[in-house]
Amino acid sequence: MQSGFDRRRINGPEESFPPIFHDSDSEDNAPPPKKLPRKGRSPKDIRPIFLQPGLINQSNGSAYIETEKTKIACAVYGPRQSKNTAYSEHGRLNVEVKFAPFSCHRRKQPLRDAEDRSVAVAIHQALVSSVRLELFPKSTIDVFINIIEADGLEGCIASASVATSAALADAGIDLFGLVVSCSAAVVGDEIWLDPTEEEVQSSNGTMVLSTLPALNTMTSIWQNGRLSPSQVLEGIGICDEKCKDIHSIVAQAVRDHAVQQI
Amino acid sequence: MAEDSFHLPGQPVILPKGPVPQLGDGVYQREGTIRASLVGIPRHEASTLTISRLRPHPPAPNSIVLGSVTRLSPLQALVSISVVDGVPLPPGEEFIGVIRTQDVRATEKDRVKISDCFRGGDVVKGLVISLGDARSYYITTARNDLGVTFATSEAGATMEPVSWQEMRCPKTGRIEKRKCAKPEGL
Repeated sequence: MQSGFDRRRINGPEESFPPIFHDSDSEDNAPPPKKLPRKGRSPKDIRPIFLQPGLINQSNGSAYIETEKTKIACAVYGPRQSKNTAYSEHGRLNVEVKFAPFSCHRRKQPLRDAEDRSVAVAIHQALVSSVRLELFPKSTIDVFINIIEADGLEGCIASASVATSAALADAGIDLFGLVVSCSAAVVGDEIWLDPTEEEVQSSNGTMVLSTLPALNTMTSIWQNGRLSPSQVLEGIGICDEKCKDIHSIVAQAVRDHAVQQI
Repeated sequence: MAEDSFHLPGQPVILPKGPVPQLGDGVYQREGTIRASLVGIPRHEASTLTISRLRPHPPAPNSIVLGSVTRLSPLQALVSISVVDGVPLPPGEEFIGVIRTQDVRATEKDRVKISDCFRGGDVVKGLVISLGDARSYYITTARNDLGVTFATSEAGATMEPVSWQEMRCPKTGRIEKRKCAKPEGL
């Protein structure tokens, strides 16, 4: 019983019950019947993006991103000297992801678990080839991502990659280009962009595509579930198109912030 | 401020007609196109094209660094680097540098005693000579303008340099040994 007890934290009561709401929200929680168009948007629509670089003062660079119910803060520290590692010609990019305890429907333990790591690896993959690590010998760039609210893991990875790339640019770290990511889910025969948690649950499979639109290259594809090759190729094409739209939003946000600072 | 001249990472830099400039910081070449890798305005300095960075960056060979002496041993002095090329590093993100006996001064290298050149807490100006090993950067003070720039005496007063290897305490008048940097503007 006491195994989960942590003296250093404020521990909640031993027993707890979810609140019961008597409003229209509870009807929304029922999974949407399949073959129905998505709630309030067309398959190729993404949720509106709000991106603000430079919110965390202490850090070298930072960014906050919000897409409806996904809220992520990201901070970049460094380049700082690598400790406890062998000599390396290239710098290292260290990505850590934390979910806030209240970020998901079920309360999360404030400990790092396998899910945090897999999200961190996906984001690292998306970003590592965009950073000019050869310019930072013996150094480490630390990225800390705090997921304040999550609505769909795929959307989280995509948004966090975008925010981190903006934060790296804000931190004055040499990049080949800004990384832009887009997620998609295959529901029935359709491909839905930027799926929510509910939509992911009713889908056959999901994918996250990360690109460098400035160089017209991809940095990573992360695929989950059952997808046919033709669906994957179609998904890549649609995501790539959308990434170009998102890139203009990100570029505008980064540029505005840089102009403001001068 | 001309907003159009602001470049973002990956954005091609359009060059005026003429000879292709050398690439400095903040720009790179890929498939024949010169692109920015930092947020900023590209500038031509002589024949190099650079985007200057205002943020702190790690030491590189030929960087001038400022740091305080943290540990002494008969063979080397450890320095905690806090300023690189005039840009202060954020607190807690110092780099560790090493001044070996052979790098303290240019002459009589074999007769250098580290304890006669540095003391703990001294602020030292040095030049990074190499990336060193996994733990530290190698720093040299073998130049007139390099060495101890600020030191406190045993009595606790800020000392003033009297020669390139001595400093005097204004309180007690005692002379202590240091490898002094030549004060600027002398």
